[in-house]
Amino acid sequence: MAESPTDVLLKGNTGRNTRGLLRFIILATIAAAAVSSRLFSVIRFESIIHEFDPWFNFRATKYLVQNGFYSFWDWFDDRTWHPLGRVTGGTLYPGLMVTSGVIYHVLRFLTFPVDIRNVCVLLAPGFSGLTALAMYFLTCEMSTSPSAGLLAAAFMGIVPGYISRSVAGSYDNEAIAIFLLVFTFFLWIKAVKNGSIMWGALAALFYGYMVSAWGGYVFITNLIPLHVFVLLCMGRYNSRIYISYTTWYALGTLASMQIPFVGFLPIRNSDHMSALGVFGLLQLVAFADFVRGFVPGKHFQRLLTSMIVFVFGISFIGLVVLSVSGVIAPWSGRFYSLWDTGYAKIHIPIIASVSEHQPTAWPAFFFDLNFLIWLFPAGVYMCFRDLKDEHVFVIIYSVLASYFAGVMVRLMLTLTPIVCVAAALALSSILDTYVFVSNGPNPRSKANDDSPSEGLRSARKPEVGITSYLSKAVMTTSVVIYLLLFVAHCTWVTSNAYSSPSVVLASRMPDGSQHIIDDYREAYYWLRQNTEHNAKIMSWWDYGYQIGGMADRPTLVDNNTWNNTHIATVGKAMSSREEVSYPILRQHDVDYVLVVFGGLLGYSGDDINKFLWMVRIAEGIWPDEVKERDYFTARGEYRVDDGATPTMRNSLMYKMSYYNYNSLFQPGQAVDRVRGTRLPADGPQLSTLEEAFTSENWIIRIYKVKDLDNLGRDHSNAVAFEKGHKRKRATKRKGPRVLRTE
Amino acid sequence: MRWCLSVFLFCLAVVNALSSSGNRLLVVLEDGSEKDLYSTFWSDLEARGYDLIFESPKSDKLSLFDLGEKAYDHLLILPPRSKGFGPALSPKNIVDFINQDGNVLLALSGKSTTPSAISSLLLELDLHLSTDRSSVVLDHFNYDTLSASEKHDVLLLQRPGQLRPDTKDFFGGEGVLALPRTAPHTLGDTALLAPILRAPVTAYSYNPKEDLSAGEEVSATGSQLALVSAMQSRSSSRFTLLGSAESFQDKWFSATVKAPGSGKETGTANQEFAKQLTAWTFKETGVLKVGKIEHHLAQDDLSLEDLNPTIYRIKNETVFSIEISEYSDDKYVPFEVPANDALQLEFSMLSPFQRLQLQPSARTENSTIYSTQFTVPDQHGIFSFRVNYKRPFLTNIEEKHEVTVRHFAHDEYPRSWKISGGWVWIAGLWSVIGGFLAFVFVWLYSEPASGKTKKTQ
Repeated sequence: MAESPTDVLLKGNTGRNTRGLLRFIILATIAAAAVSSRLFSVIRFESIIHEFDPWFNFRATKYLVQNGFYSFWDWFDDRTWHPLGRVTGGTLYPGLMVTSGVIYHVLRFLTFPVDIRNVCVLLAPGFSGLTALAMYFLTCEMSTSPSAGLLAAAFMGIVPGYISRSVAGSYDNEAIAIFLLVFTFFLWIKAVKNGSIMWGALAALFYGYMVSAWGGYVFITNLIPLHVFVLLCMGRYNSRIYISYTTWYALGTLASMQIPFVGFLPIRNSDHMSALGVFGLLQLVAFADFVRGFVPGKHFQRLLTSMIVFVFGISFIGLVVLSVSGVIAPWSGRFYSLWDTGYAKIHIPIIASVSEHQPTAWPAFFFDLNFLIWLFPAGVYMCFRDLKDEHVFVIIYSVLASYFAGVMVRLMLTLTPIVCVAAALALSSILDTYVFVSNGPNPRSKANDDSPSEGLRSARKPEVGITSYLSKAVMTTSVVIYLLLFVAHCTWVTSNAYSSPSVVLASRMPDGSQHIIDDYREAYYWLRQNTEHNAKIMSWWDYGYQIGGMADRPTLVDNNTWNNTHIATVGKAMSSREEVSYPILRQHDVDYVLVVFGGLLGYSGDDINKFLWMVRIAEGIWPDEVKERDYFTARGEYRVDDGATPTMRNSLMYKMSYYNYNSLFQPGQAVDRVRGTRLPADGPQLSTLEEAFTSENWIIRIYKVKDLDNLGRDHSNAVAFEKGHKRKRATKRKGPRVLRTE
Repeated sequence: MRWCLSVFLFCLAVVNALSSSGNRLLVVLEDGSEKDLYSTFWSDLEARGYDLIFESPKSDKLSLFDLGEKAYDHLLILPPRSKGFGPALSPKNIVDFINQDGNVLLALSGKSTTPSAISSLLLELDLHLSTDRSSVVLDHFNYDTLSASEKHDVLLLQRPGQLRPDTKDFFGGEGVLALPRTAPHTLGDTALLAPILRAPVTAYSYNPKEDLSAGEEVSATGSQLALVSAMQSRSSSRFTLLGSAESFQDKWFSATVKAPGSGKETGTANQEFAKQLTAWTFKETGVLKVGKIEHHLAQDDLSLEDLNPTIYRIKNETVFSIEISEYSDDKYVPFEVPANDALQLEFSMLSPFQRLQLQPSARTENSTIYSTQFTVPDQHGIFSFRVNYKRPFLTNIEEKHEVTVRHFAHDEYPRSWKISGGWVWIAGLWSVIGGFLAFVFVWLYSEPASGKTKKTQ
């Protein structure tokens, strides 16, 4: 082998430095790619906060920036959940807001005059770059191959499963939480490998940050103990595990309890009990291990057995007693719905009504992960071949996350990191086997004798002949093609599926030009400019955060669905007759009612399509007054046309949606383009509400709630009188005559 | 100069006189000749400062509204001869007039059939006339023997007393009322209506034209028949229905009447009653005004910023006060709650958490300040101070002031060492820390001198 200029660069000390530099540049490029691929929506639309939850986070961040940390902590929000209000400071995960607040203040300190909105919009892309970096570190712990880490980082940077929650403007908890999740796992693996208090403490620190950022921290809380438990069961107890786990558990639990929303949950909630249990178990195992040094083997066996039985019995009884007495909170509904996909549909319609809580459809896996999904099992298999402590972790994570991702769409997000790790492991071993153009033994295999490539090389030696450049070229080319396809797929998915702000809808004109449908903002700004500052807006809870954020008006319910009864009240008001709804509206000081109607435009995410959820949720609280069956025809159809049931046609939601809709069409020609049906010739009549605003494409309709009639009449009578109908004198009244007494 | 000024002030006083809500009074009178029949009544009204404008319902220029605003403050309608009132006084216009805070005094008469337009207007207000709309009230025990010894259709009644023990009496007094040929009506069951004068228990409704009594209809007898009634809308505009327009004629102001049996001839109190009735209808009496409303924390040194805060904390001691004056004839005087009544404050969120009696705490020249002190409930949310005082014949008070009640801030709880129950835990905490430090100290600085210590290691 002759010395060539490249060899100088690639071998020896200079080579290490060059590789380090290259690695650095590659990582920087990956981070840049991760950030820039998330900017579609900013370029296409504008720097705007997306969807629903981000609007609340944005509003909270503005509050934090304006009022400071302590008043954010003690924030009582009187503009949501009217009239209950929300102890916001104590019921949110403040990590996201505090992070962007800190970034904002640091930039201000450095005299960058940034707008807090831009910080919020670009936070998720910024953190995605960090996630790619964290993914590199994590994967490097799993494999000795240098390419694995870089591949994993590249995958993580652009995989749609993660992009779906982290495009610019998607200012949600997941924006920073995925980075924290991956980085905490990296620190944990590091701690387990080194048995170091420092890494354990760092893991606890980032775990604390994670707790402050996302409710999904429970995943870490359960995964790490499970990892330890499995290692114990495999008989792999050693002091490294003991040190890292006890450090992590003690510090991490203390850190998590600092978050007001979490508070004492880590010692009272069933979801956290496994961590505590494993902590206890680990003490026992350590004690047993300690005792083993002093006691002869036979006695030790007996001692161990009796101790296990004793401790298990005590702790089991303790758990049962505490659960029954209510000290330990029972499992939450969301948790049950993880195990039984039908549970939520039967018991908690509010959870089932959220589209991201639906079970995942199988194409979604390919859609979100592309070719990683079939590399994933290969990667897991490779972990089995190696099976060090950290590989056990990957296997456990894969199994759990695969199950969860199958149960709930949104949990695809937790699956994505491990898929990237596993796929990178698989792909790097393929590349390591095929790409190296060397006649001698593979340089990688020296460092790693039991690496997968070893097995493959031994297999190829006699007959397969991978030494041939042809097969290498074929292999490499196909991998490169797959990678290119992956990039193309990711870009396409990001651009088409995940970059819509959903506040602004884009459509194509017949000539191909883009047409922006901006009804939401039109309506919210109408509210902002034309209503009292304290006018209470009632809408279905989906729009609560947006009304709070964009219209700056108090709402009855919003996307933080903490009070099912209050939501059911709104559902009841929407699904009942006007005479029933009006007292509810009055009692809750409602000034305006907002509905989303897609019939004119063919916008399918409208309230009539969500209506059955309102009915179901209301039925959960008032089964005697609201019945889902009444909204279906005798043949079980959900109809809005002539065949609609009287209950349906008299419901407030139906009336508000179709009020005056007929006037757009020729008589009898009114068509609902979402349901694709012709509407009844006579439109519904409203007496307790009056139309206040309808947006350009009729997507948002706002109604004002009338005051009580000045003369004490029914609204229907008052409206009839206004229209000039003569009132029939009630000559024959039924029932006993009521005499007037003073 | 001084003379001029005093004349000017006097004029101003006269012009502004009496009614709390303006002095433009439209009198709708179909027949000009009828005007003279009521001359005393008109001069009484003019003496109280009203600008009387007489219009015929048929007149073209008659309109209750001018550019969408009401053109008159008050409306007095005398019964028409013909079948109706014409387009300017359609039920809808009159309802709009009431909704724009105009006050209406509508007089009916048993002499003629009430137009169906009036009947449908009254239906909107939940006042019901008999089906034939031309009944009169007869009473064979309380009639005037001098003028109606045959027909018994001139009722003699005592002036009305208090409606309920908890209301003020605006129509009481000595004397006898003579109500000739009264068209009766019945009241629906709404809280906005209040009868001023009800028929005696022995009275009944009778249609002289068809010579049939409406005896089948149970409500149309006795004290269920109302002769004079008041309706006060939610916005406190007033509508009075007078069954007998004739009773305000000069003739009956000065008539002498004699009840059967008593044998004593007396004059009528009609003039006094007419004054009371118009005074009430046109808002000279029974008008309440809310002055300043203050709420604040119960503390001694209050600065201006401490008044009416928008946010309270749970368990705060809070003081609420409301200033109320009552308009009486020509000035505001301190309002006194009737003896059997109470002015209440509600502190409510969805439903009242506190309902408290407001006590008079201070009195100014023309108002009374009612106040109370209470502890904010242990429930955070958006509460409102509500004073909802609606009584017959008094204008409505409906005050609602929203405040936020927040939870304890993180630094408002007592510190751990102030809770004696927590001492055990604090002791445990510090003993562990101390023990650990001691252990570390011993561990680091105790020399493993002998083999004995080595063994334990």
